[in-house]
Amino acid sequence: MKRHLRLFLLYLAQYTKVRLAYKADFIIAFFSSMAATVLGFGFVLVLFSKIPKLQDWSFYEILFLYGFSLIPLGFFNVVSWNLYEFGDIYIIQGRFDRILLRPVDTLFQVIFEKFRLESLQEVATGTLVIWICVRHLGLDWGPFDCLWFALMVVCGAVIYLSVFLILTAVSFWFEDRVGIVPPVFNMLTFARYPLTIYSVFIQFMLSWIIPFGFASFYPTTHFLGRKTFTPYFHLVPVVAATFFVLSIFVWNRGVRNYSSTGS
Amino acid sequence: MSSSAPTALPYPAPRPVGRSSLGRNLRIYAEFVRVGFVNTLAYRLRYYTGIVTYFIYVTVYYFIWKAIYEHSTNIAGFDFSHILTYVALGWIIRSFYYNNIDQDMAYQVMEGKLAMDLIKPVNIQLMYIAQALGESMFRAVMLSLPTAIVLLLVYPVRGPASARHLAAFLVSVILSFFLVAAINFTVGTFAIRLKSILGLLRAKYFLLELFSGLLLPISFFPAIFQKIFNFMPFQYISYIPVLLYLGKINGRAIAASLALQLFWVLAMFALGAAMWKWSSRKITIQGG
Repeated sequence: MKRHLRLFLLYLAQYTKVRLAYKADFIIAFFSSMAATVLGFGFVLVLFSKIPKLQDWSFYEILFLYGFSLIPLGFFNVVSWNLYEFGDIYIIQGRFDRILLRPVDTLFQVIFEKFRLESLQEVATGTLVIWICVRHLGLDWGPFDCLWFALMVVCGAVIYLSVFLILTAVSFWFEDRVGIVPPVFNMLTFARYPLTIYSVFIQFMLSWIIPFGFASFYPTTHFLGRKTFTPYFHLVPVVAATFFVLSIFVWNRGVRNYSSTGS
Repeated sequence: MSSSAPTALPYPAPRPVGRSSLGRNLRIYAEFVRVGFVNTLAYRLRYYTGIVTYFIYVTVYYFIWKAIYEHSTNIAGFDFSHILTYVALGWIIRSFYYNNIDQDMAYQVMEGKLAMDLIKPVNIQLMYIAQALGESMFRAVMLSLPTAIVLLLVYPVRGPASARHLAAFLVSVILSFFLVAAINFTVGTFAIRLKSILGLLRAKYFLLELFSGLLLPISFFPAIFQKIFNFMPFQYISYIPVLLYLGKINGRAIAASLALQLFWVLAMFALGAAMWKWSSRKITIQGG
């Protein structure tokens, strides 16, 4: 564990140095990505210039939900690049051989191969939006709420990581360059709006099959004081842990199934 | 080419070069169109998941609009059946006009391959746009059509207002393709100056989604924005074509809209050509 932590810090330091070699370049990437994230709010902003509420959710409540969904996603996106490219780089080009030769856990090496540091702008933007919403909604947050908030962010990031890890591990069996990742990635859009607007089927799917609801909607309902979903809120850590264990299991099965391309 | 399926290609194989230079030019760019089509064919798997992706987008917005229209019947000139058709048609035509010219150019710059473009005795702008046209022809058949069929089966999408409106809509969608291609090429020329452009492209992506009217009709924007948008090309990408389909533009205004759209296409072509001329003098080839 201690060795892995040291290795992680070395990986991070190394990659940060690589990125900061071109400082101006990194700063442009950071702020233009941030502009992109802010523009993502455009739909909600324009919509609420014409309507007072979405179901019984006010403007700042919707904004809170959207903002919250960005924070765990931002943390996940720091490492997500490695998962998107996995099938292409490690399986088809056969680079996974190299990983297997090293005396460190395979998953650890793959996830921390590259860091997309500019994704932290999503965390920054999300936090700023939440701060604005907390003030406007007059929510009274104590230190205990902040602790819950941090825990929910961690759980959310773990849920995103687990879901995409399972999908990535599919490439061990099917050497498909495209995979099923893009459509599922687009399902993240669902989780930015109240689950209650969707049909029962979609609600079920986003809760129990691809549990994005547990990464954004259910935590948000708790912070906004909507008591209907309290049981679901308490399940968030359970769902995160379950999917994490499941993803590790699928990954390890995949590694055992790996046969090199021979190139 | 030998690996691709024996599908009918949109253009016959190039014949020996003729006498007229216009004919020769056309044949060169027709060849780029063909290359774009065939290259896309190699990645056809991507388009099967694309149908699912577009279906997901429309589904999200279907439910959002459904929740909104529970309390009102008419917002900014749209009732629910109009807005649903607006959203569905917007995404269907996007699956056709969309291209990655700017991103392709950025990668060419980053990988130092731009030199290969420069040694070709062709107009680079037309080359990129011709290839994108080939790709869009492929998308029309393999992505837009199946997506349209799925959406029509699942959601109560309205038909076109009239045959006349349908014809105007189709012309307008083709102009949309050229408009987006010209804008993307113009943005792509920035890649030559700024080394890291991917973040900027992401910002442009969301800007276009919003300002083109894809996410919601321009009539939903505050009045001041609507006025500003009149002096920009973006609403001609999605808003105007879909309004034509819905029959919200009538009579002489139809021809006027198409003329303005054509004007913006030509203006963006001219801007792209000027930007290319200006930028290509400053090219440094990375590791070339």
